[in-house]
Amino acid sequence: MQLNIKATGPHVQVLSHLLAKNPENVYERSEKEAIVRLVYTKFEVEDVEVFLYAVPDPIELVRNAPDSYDITQYINDREFAASSLFLTYIKSALGTALNGRPKEEYRQWVDHLFPFEVAFGPIATNITDDTIQALFAPMGYEVEIEYGDINYQVKFKEQSSARYITIRGEQTLQQMLKHIFVLIPVLDNYKHYFLDEKEIDKLDRYGEGWLEEHPLRSLIIKRTLRFSPLIKKSKFQLSNKGQELEKKEESGEPKIKLNDLRYEAILSVVEKLPHKASIVDLGSGEGKLSTRLGFLSGVKEILAVEPSQRSQLHALERFEKAKRRAGFIEPTSLFGSLFYSDDRLCKKDVMILCEVMEHIDEHRLAAVFQTIFSHYQPTTLLVTTPNKEYNQVYEMQKEFRHSDHRFEWTREQFSSWARTCAEQYAYTASIEGIGEEHVSFGFPTQMAVFRRGEE
Amino acid sequence: MTRKMMLPYAGIVLMMGPSSSGKTTLLDRLIAEGILMPSEVISSDQFRTLLSDTIFMDWKGHPKDEADVLFDTYQHISKEAFEAMDFMVEKRCQLNKLTIVDATHLQSSDRLRYVQLARKHHVSISVIAIEASEQQLLEWDETREHSRGKKRIRQQQQVFKRQIRYLKKEGYSAQYVLKAEELASTSFERKANRMLLDIGEGLDIIGDIHGCFDEFMDLLVRLGYEKNEEDFYVHPQGRKIVSLGDVMSRGPKSLDTMEFFYRHIQAGLAYMIDSNHGWKIARWLDGRKVKMQHGDEKLAAEFEQFEAVHGEEKARDKKEAYRQMLLKAPSHYVLQKNDIPVAVVVHAGIKDEFIGKHDQVISDFCRYGEVEGFDKQGKPMRKDWFQQHQNSQLIIWGHDPKPQAIFIKNTVNIDQGVVFGGNLTAFRFPEKEFVQVPAQQDYADAKDNPLHIWEEQRLTPPNIMGLIDGYSVQVEQYGEIKVPGKMVKTALDDLSHFTIPLEELTYIPPTMSPTPQVSKLSTYLEHPAEAFAYYRSNEVNKMVVEKKHMGSRAVLLVFRDEESAEKYIGRKIEGVIYTRTGRPFFQKQLGKEVLQKLQHDLKPYFAKYQTEFILLDAEILPWNLKAKELIQKQYAHVGEMAWLDRMKRKEKLEKAESNGQAIQTWLDETNEQLQHTASFRKSFQQYIWETTGIEGIQIAPFHILAQSGLTFFDQTHIWHMEKAQELSNYSSMIIETAYRVVDNEQSEQEAIAWWEEMTRDGQEGFVVKPLNFVERNEKGQMVQPAIKVRGVEYLHIIYGMDYLHPANLERLKQRSTNKKQKKALREFALGMEGIQRFVNRESLGRIHECVLGTLAMEADPVDPRL
Repeated sequence: MQLNIKATGPHVQVLSHLLAKNPENVYERSEKEAIVRLVYTKFEVEDVEVFLYAVPDPIELVRNAPDSYDITQYINDREFAASSLFLTYIKSALGTALNGRPKEEYRQWVDHLFPFEVAFGPIATNITDDTIQALFAPMGYEVEIEYGDINYQVKFKEQSSARYITIRGEQTLQQMLKHIFVLIPVLDNYKHYFLDEKEIDKLDRYGEGWLEEHPLRSLIIKRTLRFSPLIKKSKFQLSNKGQELEKKEESGEPKIKLNDLRYEAILSVVEKLPHKASIVDLGSGEGKLSTRLGFLSGVKEILAVEPSQRSQLHALERFEKAKRRAGFIEPTSLFGSLFYSDDRLCKKDVMILCEVMEHIDEHRLAAVFQTIFSHYQPTTLLVTTPNKEYNQVYEMQKEFRHSDHRFEWTREQFSSWARTCAEQYAYTASIEGIGEEHVSFGFPTQMAVFRRGEE
Repeated sequence: MTRKMMLPYAGIVLMMGPSSSGKTTLLDRLIAEGILMPSEVISSDQFRTLLSDTIFMDWKGHPKDEADVLFDTYQHISKEAFEAMDFMVEKRCQLNKLTIVDATHLQSSDRLRYVQLARKHHVSISVIAIEASEQQLLEWDETREHSRGKKRIRQQQQVFKRQIRYLKKEGYSAQYVLKAEELASTSFERKANRMLLDIGEGLDIIGDIHGCFDEFMDLLVRLGYEKNEEDFYVHPQGRKIVSLGDVMSRGPKSLDTMEFFYRHIQAGLAYMIDSNHGWKIARWLDGRKVKMQHGDEKLAAEFEQFEAVHGEEKARDKKEAYRQMLLKAPSHYVLQKNDIPVAVVVHAGIKDEFIGKHDQVISDFCRYGEVEGFDKQGKPMRKDWFQQHQNSQLIIWGHDPKPQAIFIKNTVNIDQGVVFGGNLTAFRFPEKEFVQVPAQQDYADAKDNPLHIWEEQRLTPPNIMGLIDGYSVQVEQYGEIKVPGKMVKTALDDLSHFTIPLEELTYIPPTMSPTPQVSKLSTYLEHPAEAFAYYRSNEVNKMVVEKKHMGSRAVLLVFRDEESAEKYIGRKIEGVIYTRTGRPFFQKQLGKEVLQKLQHDLKPYFAKYQTEFILLDAEILPWNLKAKELIQKQYAHVGEMAWLDRMKRKEKLEKAESNGQAIQTWLDETNEQLQHTASFRKSFQQYIWETTGIEGIQIAPFHILAQSGLTFFDQTHIWHMEKAQELSNYSSMIIETAYRVVDNEQSEQEAIAWWEEMTRDGQEGFVVKPLNFVERNEKGQMVQPAIKVRGVEYLHIIYGMDYLHPANLERLKQRSTNKKQKKALREFALGMEGIQRFVNRESLGRIHECVLGTLAMEADPVDPRL
């Protein structure tokens, strides 16, 4: 991790006073677990270059890392990457310049524009070269990007994931450092420590005078503060621009809307059922459907079954919030899985598998539905799944709507499966469509409603 | 004329009679005669003394105020003394001991308390009342130490006379009223426990025969019994036959079988215990109304046939003889070896607290097992009674037909359903060997053939409720292994999303510990010397060292054909290849191609060893096959970052130096770091090569885990290595692994030199294993199944490119492998257990609890660099 500041032309030797670093001496300090060093690689009348780097102790570095049990923890780019960690190491070495407070006789130079060539890196970032350009260009920099060496015996990379940045432009020393202190953490993929309100102060201070008008303001703020509660507290407003640079939802379908339609369709079927006191939401995820079911009149018990503990926690939060509203039957969150049998789920009025079956390998479906039909024996079973034919409407680039889908079925495949199940387990089956119907491809989601024969 | 009285071997005997009737005198006599032990007799006097230091209090002749106090005090002491005594009686009942309670027991409530206690603990209770004339009582009272006084004696005598009439209705197994003057001429003896059976020269315990007499005869011959001239089957070594009951019904020759046991029991050559069918037939023969169904009707028909041929009288004699035999059959036998009760033989099941005891409740339990309600067809739903079995006595049982004789929780079921077309099993004790004879046909021809049902239900999904809150697995090689609930959930999350199907996941490889001690040498973190030292300190002097391939760990289950696959995992596939976390190793199509090639190549191997499958522990190369993303995102990326950082720094520092800055040390340090970076980048590249389709893929098996009916945990690692070599002859995709044997100083030095040589150019290193797959030290503890020793260069990719820097190495050496070692052993034992169960074709739930156990343990974080 390093920073090289170079300037040529008249008065550039003043920089040593602005930095408050004697060009005759080398500078070496310990900062936390790192050694910080500064040296003038050149100090001529019209040619000054100062080089600053930090070497963290690799073992201390990983010992303090939060994800300490990752196999590759000692193989860690944190030791090298120019990151916010680097900035904390060098902050005090550059304190005078950053604050613009040199000795009285040099105060006039604080606002002096120097023709800088500043290099820093290496950086590990998922931001494209174009965006890097776009981050520095508004302040008048030219950007040059170098890539690391990928001369491997087997070619398994197209391009190195290490980059080194050089920016050139006329700036005051203080402004230039402020730009870097804001933008290095933006570039870096990794957030190195817990973010708190100090981070907002820093952003507000270093962003002063240039960030207000920066076209990629949103991106900068979001990548700096990482999560929303802090973003709202920043004095810089999010603009609409820059959002297009953010990752799009992985799903190939307009998710929000179809999700809601699906829940509505399920609720309207359940609502009309004569027996709906007890409901099992199998694969309940974050509890969105279960929460809606909780407001349905006539429902007395909802079992929200989910094998992901993380999703379960989200579901619990959701239920907690819903409890504040009247008429809510709080679902019981159960840890459970489709691949095991669970006597708690037997003989309930309604069982729902909403967008669950397509996450199961096709060859495992028979066993899963055997457990459902012959062991759990719900009075009514609702199963929804995507209609593969409809994918053409979305003009998707990939095979399935979601990367974890193990299969997607056409209308014929789904209805023939439903018929077979119904025959085998003495249920009746009917198929419904959910969403906006297409003339030739049908509905985006298909739903089978199974009813137990004897009831 | 002397009278003889039998005292029970265990339970409660209440003495009854007024003070001074001679109860204590009688008991003292029996102790003196050695019929009772002093500890078997307890009395209220004894407890009064133990609790209050006084045996008796006399308030006669005291003024009223004093007498009242003394009386109260005495009452209080008595109450406490009786409570303490009852507590002791109860504990002795639990332990199945005899306790004679020496007190007056004049009041009904005093006696009934003990009746309830006896019933609760399934022991017998009887009363011995001693009757004396009032005159005698008064005489004796005057001569005793603490005379009770005339008034009290008279009172007590009146109560005694009245109460003695109630004894019959109070539910004792026996009540005796002895006249005081006859005591001298009465002799006493102790009954033996009918349930104890000495194993003598050995026992052959036979599962449910159900009239399959021909198979039974075959089995006896196979067991070495010879028919003598009197038509008795006698074993030359004096072994005896024990039947688990259900010798009749359902099958073709119930009468022959019953006749066999009748004669051989009479002759002291065989034993039989009570059973559900046995008990039913006993009641039928007793003339009770019994519905002859579930195969019992076949027996009735046989009797009719017999009567038709031999006449009514002979039939009646037979019936009477068999009735006697069946009624006498004890609920279970406790097998004694050197007078120590080592095993239990029971028909359907037993609770630990029932062992050696006898009453109606126990008899029913032993006949039917634990039954919980009835199913739709009205058949009893069986519960797994053996789950509660805790003590170390082996319980041998039958009743519930299972396709294989399997040890579960220190019990073994030896009913292999001969009458349903399965096998007739003999379990040899104390040898613990099985001898089986297959059924000639399915005699029962039942719609609900239990063997078929078992087969259908074998792969039903495991019950999650038995797992999520934690559970324990009884592991043959290790004992009980507890799996905590917290980690189970994390593992189940994974099993619900990412792993291959549960029925295909038979084994998860155990983790492996590096050398328990770090190297003493200053420039090494790990060195073979510490691995050898570890084994030698555990009395293992012969070791096998195997080169560690730098690839990815994989488990391969390859089937001979689709039918075999269906038989074991319920799906017609070539097999499965999965990672050490249970995920598919290859993406679908490539995996299928690899398996197809293996299945094809190994065809002659399958034929040669007559196996339906082979289960292998292996390393699959190259490393990038599985770890491509890890290599790109971590190893390559970090290398590029380091290189770029240090190259740029070098450039700047050189410039500074040439301009006269005194930074030589910074520059030297940078150059050294650049060298580390270069060697780091070189070392990980060694394990990477390009593959196209199955071209370039190499599989290096190192454990041949199982084949049809066999596991190979009893083989040495030399055997496993040779087997791997043999496999490599069958398929170009399989490669052998270089290995050496270390058993002395010289071979140890040679192995170290070998390690130095292979690791110098970046090879991962080797694994040191004890000669035997399962090895124990002198204390009987299992030692580590393997220790990895990784090379100096290779460790760069684990501990970072600058790990050898003295300041770094010193700190890295402060590591502890204790947790890793413990985990390795438990996972190793669980792995073997799961494979054994898979080979036995046990239920999915039983196999899966082992697999889940290992996955749960792996969810518990341990330093992953170890």
